[in-house]
Order: sequence, then C-alpha cells, then structure tokens
Amino acid sequence: MSQPLLEVRELSRRFGGLLAVDRVSFAVQPGEIFGLIGPNGAGKTTLFNLISGVTPPSSGAVLWRGEPITGQPPHRLNRLGLARTFQNLRLFEGLSVLENVLVALQRRPRSSAAGGLLNSAGHRRAERQRLQAAWQLLEELGLTALAERQAGTLAYGDRRRLEMARALATGPSLLLLDEPAAGLNPAEKDQLCQLIGGLRQRHQLTVIIIEHHVPLLMRLCDRMAVLDFGVRIALGTPEEVRRDPQVIEAYLGTGGHAS
Amino acid sequence: MIETLLQTLLNGAASGGVYALVALGYTLVFSVLGVINFAQGALFSVGGYLTFLLMGGRIGVNGALPGWGLPGGLPFWLALLLAAAGSGLVGLLVERVAFAPLRRRNAEPLLALITSLGAGVVLVNLLQLLMGAEGYAFPHGSDALGGLPDALVIAGARIRTIQLLLLLISAAAVLALSLWLERSRGGRALRAVAEDATTAQLLGIHSEAMVRLAFFLSGALAGLGGGLIGVSVSLPGPYFGIGYGLKGLAVLVLGGLGSVPGAIAGGLLMGLAEALVPSEASGWRDALAFAILFVVLLLRPRGLLGRRTVEKV
Repeated sequence: MSQPLLEVRELSRRFGGLLAVDRVSFAVQPGEIFGLIGPNGAGKTTLFNLISGVTPPSSGAVLWRGEPITGQPPHRLNRLGLARTFQNLRLFEGLSVLENVLVALQRRPRSSAAGGLLNSAGHRRAERQRLQAAWQLLEELGLTALAERQAGTLAYGDRRRLEMARALATGPSLLLLDEPAAGLNPAEKDQLCQLIGGLRQRHQLTVIIIEHHVPLLMRLCDRMAVLDFGVRIALGTPEEVRRDPQVIEAYLGTGGHAS
Repeated sequence: MIETLLQTLLNGAASGGVYALVALGYTLVFSVLGVINFAQGALFSVGGYLTFLLMGGRIGVNGALPGWGLPGGLPFWLALLLAAAGSGLVGLLVERVAFAPLRRRNAEPLLALITSLGAGVVLVNLLQLLMGAEGYAFPHGSDALGGLPDALVIAGARIRTIQLLLLLISAAAVLALSLWLERSRGGRALRAVAEDATTAQLLGIHSEAMVRLAFFLSGALAGLGGGLIGVSVSLPGPYFGIGYGLKGLAVLVLGGLGSVPGAIAGGLLMGLAEALVPSEASGWRDALAFAILFVVLLLRPRGLLGRRTVEKV
C-alpha cells in the first residue's frame, strides 16, 4: 500500500464527561473517496473539526503524508492542502459569490502586500490570475450567473455548491465534505454525486465525505468507516460494510436506512 | 452672512471628518473582534504629540526632558504620516497587551473593554510623564504648512487653510480605507475575517494577522486625527484625545455599529450639527451632540446605516 495522504491514529476528543471521539483510527489513500457514516451524535463532525484544526484533540495523532500535523492552526493545515465544507454552511454572507471564492484564492499566486500598495505589474497580474481562477471555479460549479449576488441571498443548493467552490479555491489535495447532500432533492443528490466524481478527476482530489444518505455514499465511496458513539465500529469497502453484522445492528437496521 | 455660513459649514465638515476617522478606527476593530477598543482616544493623543515632536516641537518645562526635541523638524505632511504610522504601532502594542492575552484564554470579550480602557489610561499618563500636563501650540503660518498661505479666500469667504486641509486629508484617508476594504485582496480578507474568523482561517487566511492589521490601521486613523486636530487647534494636554475618543464612539453608534458608510455619515452629521451651535452657546456643543445621538437611537436603535443584526442559529 502506498503512503496514505491522511492518517488518523487513536484520535480522541473529550467534552467534559463525554467522549465524542474515542480512539478512532483510519488511513485515507491518495485519490480515494472515503465515506464516514454513523447516527446523529456519533462524532463525525467532531472528527472533521479535529482533522481540520478547529478543535484540538484530547489525545491521538493526525498524520499528513506521514508527518504529524496534530494541533496545527487551521490556516497552516489549509496551506498544506486540506479544505473543508460545513454541515450548516458557513459562507461569508455579506460578500458576493465571486468575492467568497476570491477570498479563498488569497494565496494563489503569491504576491506581496507591498506590491499591492504600489499596485505593481506583478501584483496586477496576480489579481488577474485570481479572477480567472475564480470564474473558472464558478463555471465548473454552475454559479457563473450568480457571481455578483450577495452570498446570503442564494438558494440552498447554490449555497452548497458555492461552499464547495470556495473550498476548492484554496487548491486542496484533501477535501472534507460535511453532509453535502443535506437538504437536496433526489435529482440534486444525483447531480452532486456526479459533480464530486468529476471534481476528484479534474482536481486530483482525495475526498472524505460525511453523509446520512447511505445509498449515495455506497455508490460514491471507495471505502468507508462507520462511527457509533465516537467509536469506529467498521471499516472497509461499501460491500464489506454493508455486510458487517455490527453495522447492521448499530445503524443500518435490517432494511437499510431511509433518509 | 453667506461667508459666515460657508465658514461654519467647512468647520463642521472638518471636525466631522476627524470624528469619522476616529469612528472608523473603532469600526475596524469592532468588525473583526466584536469589541470596542477604549484606548482609541489615548491613541488620538499619541498621534497629536508625535506630530508635534516630529515637526520639531520641544518638550516643555514640566516634561521628563525639558527643552528636549528631535533634531530638525519635518514638514507637516511627513510628520503627520509618520505620526499616524507610529500611533498604528502603539495600537499594535495595545492589542498585544490588552486584547491578545484575553483571546488566547478564550475570556469573555467584554473584558477587553476594561483592559483597553486601562491601556488607554496608562498611555495618557505616560504622555503626561514625558511631555508634562501643559498645552502645546504648533507653529502656525506658512512654514508649518509647507509654503501654503495661512488663509484662503474662496467665494468671498476667508477660510483657514488648515481647516480645508483637515477636511481634505480626512476625506482622502476615509476614501482610501473604503476602497482598500472594498477592492483589495487584503480588504477582502479582512471582511472575511470580520464575518467569520474560523472559516476564514480554514480557507488559509491568517486570522490573527488580520486582527493585528485592523489594530494597526485603527491606531493610525486615531493618530492621524490627533495630528490634524493638534495642528489646527493645539494640544491642550495629554487628555485631549479622550474627548475625541468619546465623540467618535457616539458617532460610531450614531452611524450604526460596524458600518463604514455609517461612520462617515455619522461623523459629518455630528460635526455639522456642532458647528451650527452659535459660538456664544459653545458650552452646549457636547450636549447637542449627545442629544442627537439620543434621539436617533430612540427612532432607529440600529443607528443611521446599521444593518439589522441577524441572530445565527
């Protein structure tokens, strides 16, 4: 097996008396789409917070291409190539759609603050490149027509895609998607599935995705892990996970999960 | 009659411009941290004294080093610019001692009101220790203004050049800041941090650095205001900035907390209203200013241009 892009080792997080994440381990290979499922309160979003540096873990380690990155601040992790979206959408609502993406392109390509003050040729070129990259992402996610709209005024599905465009703008190699299909209708869920597959191809992405809609996840993921009360109870291909007796008991029930 | 009115309006707009500078300083810090920096008035004083020293002013008899002064004297423009930058650095220091430690410990944000007030008091007292409590007057006349005449005659009205400069410089600073916030990469990042610092950080923006930038700019705006008022009126003592700090706070609330256009509109309204108080009743100026604030808040609790605050669930 090649070097994993991201590895989580015995990661735990305690909130007061509650062990939200309990010694969870798994490794994600480059190029993989990796699913995380589990009932509400199983610790999935907490796990994302630990990986992306929003919350420090109580114990355990996160490794990036084999190097420990535990406890680094989010902006450092983002510069390494880690980006995420939120379950309950956190757009910059007062900024336009285009600006939301531009903010995330801040560091690509590099240009100095002094260049900005002097409005140097290099700085102008960098700003042009950023604009170009932003428009390209908006087009890829079907948001071109909404570019000048204030993000707070967008419809739900558009907001979800804008959040993905913004995360992609930071040039990640690993994208963490927190319930990207929540609130979408079946047709939109299908489109999202294709979109995520396409994005992986075009941006050479590795994806970790939290999702409640099990059929979508089964179709999309190469491998998945199941969390229950903070504990990883299963890990494997969708087929393996589907047959796992512990999973059937804890989460899927007998006839699968309706969402 | 017309001349007097013109002069009055110009004076009002000029002090309104300075109020807007102070209010914008509050706005910058408020929008990224959600708290008021009560050291803003002290930074205003710092800017005034720095401008005085940089223009070649000497420390008076009650100061720490009576008779001492910087060698040579810089022209007004350069002194003002450097004093603003210096006040910005002092603003960074205020952030470091009064805000950063509380943030690191996740303390209640309101505590920063007290720590920043404390930092402001210390600053004013340091100024008093260094410069003494006496007032200082700037040298007036052409050499202070780099060859410009002391007064201009426009449309039959005699206008003090410095009042016009005051208005132009504060307008330029306000305009530059608004453009920077609206158009530039850094301004965009600052607005993103103001909306949601954690998310901005997850997108690779160094939120802490943007907070420091906000404090630097905020201190520089206050310092610029202090320098301008010092040159145009005088430095009546180390506490002189506190009054402007309070007035700026009133303007901030008047315009709407966190709103840049609101701070500008509020500043102009306040300055013009004060200028229209006849000089025989000048003791009533502050009363009028705060009465306006009172009435506006009764009618529009969000301030003139404040946005309705949306409670996030």
